[in-house]
Amino acid sequence: MTGGAPFHFLTRRFTIFLEDGADTVMNKAMRNPYIYALFVIPALVLFVMFFIYPLINAVYYSLTNWNGVSDHLKFWGIKNYTKALTDETFWNAVKNNGYFILFSCFIQVPIIVISSLMIANVKRFKSLYKTAVFMPTVMSTAVIGILWGFIYNYDVGLFNKILGFFGAEAIDWLGDPKFAMLSILITNGWQWTGFYIIMVLAAILSIPKDLDEAAEIDGATGYQRAMKITMPLIMPVVSVVIMLSIAGAMKAADIIIVMTKGGPAGSTDVMATYMIKYAITNFKYGYGNAISVIIFVFTMILTVLYQVLIARRSERIEY
Amino acid sequence: MMRALKKSINHIVLMGYLLIILFPFLFVVFSSFKLNNSEIALSPFGLPEHFVWDNYVTAWVNAKINVYFLNSLYIAVLSSCITILIGAMMSFAVTRMRFGKISLLLFQLILLGMLIPNTSLMLPIYLLMQKMNVLNTHLALIIPYVANAIPFTVIIMAQFMKSIPSEIEEAAVVDGLSVGGIFAKMVLPLTIPAIVTVFIVNFLGNWNEFLLSNYFISNDELRTLPTGMVQFRDAYQSNYAQMSAGIVYSVVPVMVIYAVLQKKIIEGVTAGSVKG
Repeated sequence: MTGGAPFHFLTRRFTIFLEDGADTVMNKAMRNPYIYALFVIPALVLFVMFFIYPLINAVYYSLTNWNGVSDHLKFWGIKNYTKALTDETFWNAVKNNGYFILFSCFIQVPIIVISSLMIANVKRFKSLYKTAVFMPTVMSTAVIGILWGFIYNYDVGLFNKILGFFGAEAIDWLGDPKFAMLSILITNGWQWTGFYIIMVLAAILSIPKDLDEAAEIDGATGYQRAMKITMPLIMPVVSVVIMLSIAGAMKAADIIIVMTKGGPAGSTDVMATYMIKYAITNFKYGYGNAISVIIFVFTMILTVLYQVLIARRSERIEY
Repeated sequence: MMRALKKSINHIVLMGYLLIILFPFLFVVFSSFKLNNSEIALSPFGLPEHFVWDNYVTAWVNAKINVYFLNSLYIAVLSSCITILIGAMMSFAVTRMRFGKISLLLFQLILLGMLIPNTSLMLPIYLLMQKMNVLNTHLALIIPYVANAIPFTVIIMAQFMKSIPSEIEEAAVVDGLSVGGIFAKMVLPLTIPAIVTVFIVNFLGNWNEFLLSNYFISNDELRTLPTGMVQFRDAYQSNYAQMSAGIVYSVVPVMVIYAVLQKKIIEGVTAGSVKG
């Protein structure tokens, strides 16, 4: 270091000069507003067309009686909203969205956490388990709906064959209003549980090993280590899983359209399928848009509520 | 004894889980080789008596798998590529060009897109496609697919581009490269890991997309694989062996891609959701 000292002054001057020189050229090129616009505009135009405009459009038409085709359009304020919020079938759809959320929070989440802990703890077959549990995630919901429709089939389906094997009576899984929703929830859970397992597993595997080892030396059992060390550290990810489940539950539509089309007798309708039914099949565009605005608002409310009431309380632990 | 049991209990439970995941597939594969509905009904768990390949031949013809498959492939690849190009340009501009405040604003606007549940915007988008006069053409899918993937693409790519040291551009400018040159010849090649992730996620999303494809396309020849398969099921509902063969056709390509790229796919899909 000291050997270079006499030249230090010089080299520094030189680099400053170079940086300055480069900087002015850089600035000229990288501050060109026309090129900037050229690079930004395609994405922005599409974004405005497909996110901002539809949102405004939905709010606007939700205040009208427009049927989607004719020139006849009348403003009637919040009439669509009051109609939706007093419609029993709409609340039935909301209830079914609620079932989606409850099913993922109280049935899927425990399975997800336990399975991830188990996969994290085994040495052999770890990658086999990972590959297999994730597989349904990459498949199309439509094909999964068809496949499970076959499994639920009254005459030849797998489930009724298993029931028959135990001497139980066959069930019309998708045709009976008592079982249709449950059947869809099971299929949906089958598709997405593995995806969340991989997320939680990644969080578990990123916890430094020495934490666990130290606890083991101190005499903590496997169960104690899972509850006292791993669980608190993966709570933020579990929180993300719940958030994603809520968002997914509010969006659910394709699996229902493929498996039951909302039937029997509307028993599996969710908000999104209810909206599609009114807007496209029954030509009530204004009313359908009111439903989409309600879905949007409900999603926001749930997200904010969850963040404020639950996510904030579970503090993040640094290690 | 207790110890061995304790050690293997994880494996027993996980193997059970594995069975639940894999059994539906096996059931469909076995059924696809069976003669008819009564053979499926009589021995649902068993191997077929004779392997009836005929189901695959008739399913290929009746389900028009080749048509739907090609439609899906070209729509999914094309949309993903356009999204990446447009998204990369925007990410480059907001992270590498010197427009600090505007860039921050634009980036946050795009972030907002991740919060908007896109199924609920299906109706206005339908209307938009109608106004653009592209309903019942492949453009009615390609344009929304490109647009819907932009927020995610920009977020992942911008994050990646931010981490590239700025010396690279300085050197490039001194060497006389234009902004376009820096983008195409320097930054884009360095962003390839992010491009791969984004491509996989967008491709899978487009490949599996059902709602728009179901309502925006009514011409059978133009259907994609998911909607085509639903159509096929509705038409041949009572022939389960043939339907199973159709399911196998539509599942196998994804399984093969998954087997080859699984590490990258798992990484990409989970990264995408966490950032969202």
